[in-house]
Amino acid sequence: MRIAITGIGAVSAIGMNCAETLQSLLDERSGIGAMHELGSVHTDLPVGEVPFTDAELKRMAGIADSEPMPRTALLGIIAAREALLQAGLNEEMVNEKMVNGLAFISGTTVGGMDLTEQHWLDYANGKATENIRLHEAGESTNAIARYLGISNQQSAVSFIATPSTACSSALNAIMLGANMLRTGKTKAALVGGAESLSMFHLNGFNTLMILDHVPCRPFDAERHGLNLGEGAGYLFIEPEEQAIARGATILGYIGGYANTCDAYHQTASSDNGEGALLAMSGALRMAGLQPADIDYVNAHGTATPNNDLSESAALRRLFGDNLPAVSSTKAFTGHTTSASGGLESAICVLAMQHGFVPANLNWSSTAEGLITPVTHTRHKPLRHILCNAFGFGGNESSLVISSTGTDLSEAPMIQLPNEQINVQMVNDEMVNSFVSSAESRRMTPQMRRVVAAARRAMEESGVAIPDAIVCATQWGCMLQSMRFLQDMIDSGEQQLKPTPFMQSTHNTIASLIAILTGNHGYNATYSQGKQSLDCALADICTQMSLGLINTAMVIEFDEQVDAWDAVLQHIGDRTEDIARVHIYTNNSKI
Amino acid sequence: MEKLIEQLKAQIIEALNFEDMTPADIDTDAPLFGEGLGLDSIDALELIMLMDREYGIKLSDPKAGKAIFQSVRTMAEYIQANRTK
Repeated sequence: MRIAITGIGAVSAIGMNCAETLQSLLDERSGIGAMHELGSVHTDLPVGEVPFTDAELKRMAGIADSEPMPRTALLGIIAAREALLQAGLNEEMVNEKMVNGLAFISGTTVGGMDLTEQHWLDYANGKATENIRLHEAGESTNAIARYLGISNQQSAVSFIATPSTACSSALNAIMLGANMLRTGKTKAALVGGAESLSMFHLNGFNTLMILDHVPCRPFDAERHGLNLGEGAGYLFIEPEEQAIARGATILGYIGGYANTCDAYHQTASSDNGEGALLAMSGALRMAGLQPADIDYVNAHGTATPNNDLSESAALRRLFGDNLPAVSSTKAFTGHTTSASGGLESAICVLAMQHGFVPANLNWSSTAEGLITPVTHTRHKPLRHILCNAFGFGGNESSLVISSTGTDLSEAPMIQLPNEQINVQMVNDEMVNSFVSSAESRRMTPQMRRVVAAARRAMEESGVAIPDAIVCATQWGCMLQSMRFLQDMIDSGEQQLKPTPFMQSTHNTIASLIAILTGNHGYNATYSQGKQSLDCALADICTQMSLGLINTAMVIEFDEQVDAWDAVLQHIGDRTEDIARVHIYTNNSKI
Repeated sequence: MEKLIEQLKAQIIEALNFEDMTPADIDTDAPLFGEGLGLDSIDALELIMLMDREYGIKLSDPKAGKAIFQSVRTMAEYIQANRTK
């Protein structure tokens, strides 16, 4: 099956749609500047903001000002609508099942954190507590789906999922969408991601001392960190046959893709770029391409000293002395974190359509170990583009976007594979026998339990290195998130500790287990409310059907947190401790 | 100086969550990173934050920590020379 891209949508600091985005890229006009919308005290930090208030975005999206809505969802609605319209589908047509079975897969990590941090003190005082529900990553995805007229309740949508693997979330959304097409689980997929700025992650990145105080300089010798950005980006993908049959314009193809884990450190990338190399070479292998076939690499290129050196090492290992044109577009948009894979994929499609390599702005000199990027717009035809997105925990993903397409294998969707074992760890004495005190000094008690359960499950099942580790979590790593949020509010954003932030992302558990066990395989996390486990199982089923994996660890994780429960009780809900680990094997393939 | 070193050891144990350790377990001259306590880049950031919080010392470049955090003694010497509280 050739997977055609028939619609794209992009929203960021350089444009509210693809036309504006294209013009900014061609004009080499960056969107990074002074902070206006985000209410942080750290106004000395430049950001790539979408230059509109929430109220203005609501007017653009046709939403009543009185309706509470995370900024992530507002950005997502505007970009997702553009992709649908370009694909030739309006909301009415979607509802009338012109597309039979549409999957909407949208990555985010911030989700509704912007509302939570603004209203936490109200919530804690029992005011407007119903809005706390919007905190969930999956609720932003649901809100976008609702405003596209494709909510779960209407049968046109077959599937909604929210991958949350930090900065690679949106690329993982594209991969799941492609796997669902190849297994016939859906006939079309709207895939990508959305992420707004939040004080929470601005302060978090600040504690990691990786934010530059001037516009970021990817791959430059003097680079001093990243600038955060916000936005959304989506691709509408469908089988080529269907696109041709309905007369859609094909903008490009999904060539190949891979998700791997660096398995090195929760926030640092390995010196030799092992995970990045595995992701890029895996994507090329699926696409049936040689390194020399790649005309352009849209690098992750955050401009942190560590990322750019590690990614350069991986690029050198893959391409040797024949490095293709490389640029990071983050000096235009800032780092849009979970949205970056969607936004930058859309940018790659624009680059392919209009035949140019976008500039890597703000570059002036090289240093040992760094690749040299393309510093001004270079006009040339692009047949195959590699797009990278790497996240905390070493969640590395690469996507090949091609003008010609690859005939990707298809397979009927299998039923849920055999469950070999199911471990729930509750006995703390047993936990200590599986996790040493040196390993666990940063872990919350619930993190220790889930790591112990994972080790026990691997031991008892005899599956020492599962091909995939996939975590399902409703609220994510809530204890560390609450610690960081409360410290941030109490201190007025001063003197915050990096460890709680580092462990606040939803993908902490799956990546931590990969790091502790040296597992470079597929690694993903889903946060879709009570349907999170269904999403994780859908992911491993599609991959087992296609023969991409034969063994998988599926983790259910949540933490009971008193401060959160004090608010949740107003809406009749509560958090609970869940640390359950399943091992699945596809026996028919072994 | 000895008093500062003892105090600093206790603060390091607390900041880095070495639950099972006491100040006596930390060798004043042993390397903090690599061998020794085996600290990593996040611990370095926690130590930078500790110096800010407890001693009013602000480091803007994490790379500057490398020389300061060679051992508890080098850290204490730096604090004594630069503390503002």
